[in-house]
Amino acid sequence: MNIELKCFATLGRFAPENADAYELPDETTVADVLTALGIPEEEVKIIFINGVKKELHAPLADGDRLGLFPAVGGG
Amino acid sequence: MNPPRPTPTPPRALQSRDLKSLARETDSPRGGSLWLLAPEQIDQLAEDLQYDRLDVEQAALRQGVIPERYARSLNALTQQDQLALLESHVAMVGLGGLGGHLLELLARSGVGTLYAADGDSFEPSNLNRQLLATAQSLHQTKAKAAQARCHSINPSVRLHVRDQYLDSDGMLDLLQGAELAVDALGELAPRRKLAQACHTLNIPLVAGALAGWSGYVTLVRPDGIHPVEFMGGDDSAEKKLGCPGPTVSLVASLMAAEAINTLLGRPALDGRMLVVDLRDMSFETVTL
Repeated sequence: MNIELKCFATLGRFAPENADAYELPDETTVADVLTALGIPEEEVKIIFINGVKKELHAPLADGDRLGLFPAVGGG
Repeated sequence: MNPPRPTPTPPRALQSRDLKSLARETDSPRGGSLWLLAPEQIDQLAEDLQYDRLDVEQAALRQGVIPERYARSLNALTQQDQLALLESHVAMVGLGGLGGHLLELLARSGVGTLYAADGDSFEPSNLNRQLLATAQSLHQTKAKAAQARCHSINPSVRLHVRDQYLDSDGMLDLLQGAELAVDALGELAPRRKLAQACHTLNIPLVAGALAGWSGYVTLVRPDGIHPVEFMGGDDSAEKKLGCPGPTVSLVASLMAAEAINTLLGRPALDGRMLVVDLRDMSFETVTL
């Protein structure tokens, strides 16, 4: 399956080249994506799938949009 | 303490004054006529009648007369909306990157009373993004620059500004009398304190933050969750990615628009968070 992955701010450095159609095996969770890309779990503060906040072990489905947001506090 | 709120009814001398007879009649873009009072007429009336300009502008709108400085906000804002903004009280914490742009937009929009606080002074590294930071204001306090700027762009606004960093008690004090708060801070820890103070006093909070080309804006209800609660310690991304001007002014604009939406009873980001990224020009609204 493919998902659309968006890594915000400091997480941008982990984004794969094919983030718009990132290929994953079936029955993958968000945590699996972090492991595959080498993203430290503690750097991911807000996870959203298809515009809804989710937890680390949420499952992913083909066509999902996954957003990963770090701690952001500037102004 | 913030000064006591004035009575909402216009003073008698203003109520009995026929402001429409002084106003300039012009064609409304929606058909019919508009009656406009120029800024210098507001100044003169305030001086003659010994009232604040804000009282004069509120009285004018109650008589269907538009203070001309707000004419181009019509019909995005109705006359009733404009009057509601002039009668609003908003507390904002921070007068730096987000705060400077927010002050500009809220004052130009005619949000009548603003309580603001920042204990900082301008330094050269503020010049990339902070509207109030200029060659002239370097090393001056942000509070002083805010007062001067607000007076020059809209002297009708009552801006009560404190030249201090607020602790939790100070935030509770600043929020007294406000119906909406704005989080224009630049670090995680004070944002948490402000969210707690708003929760205690049952005041909604418009919050926004950014790092690099990414940012977010949200409306936090008093019983809701500020995104900062998800963000753990104090190591946040802007220290690595900086705060470029376009992201700062965009996030501030979105916050100003949501502040106005909320003051007018039609919030758009209630329990939701708008997440933006300016490198790929993506905008997404997510449910928290």
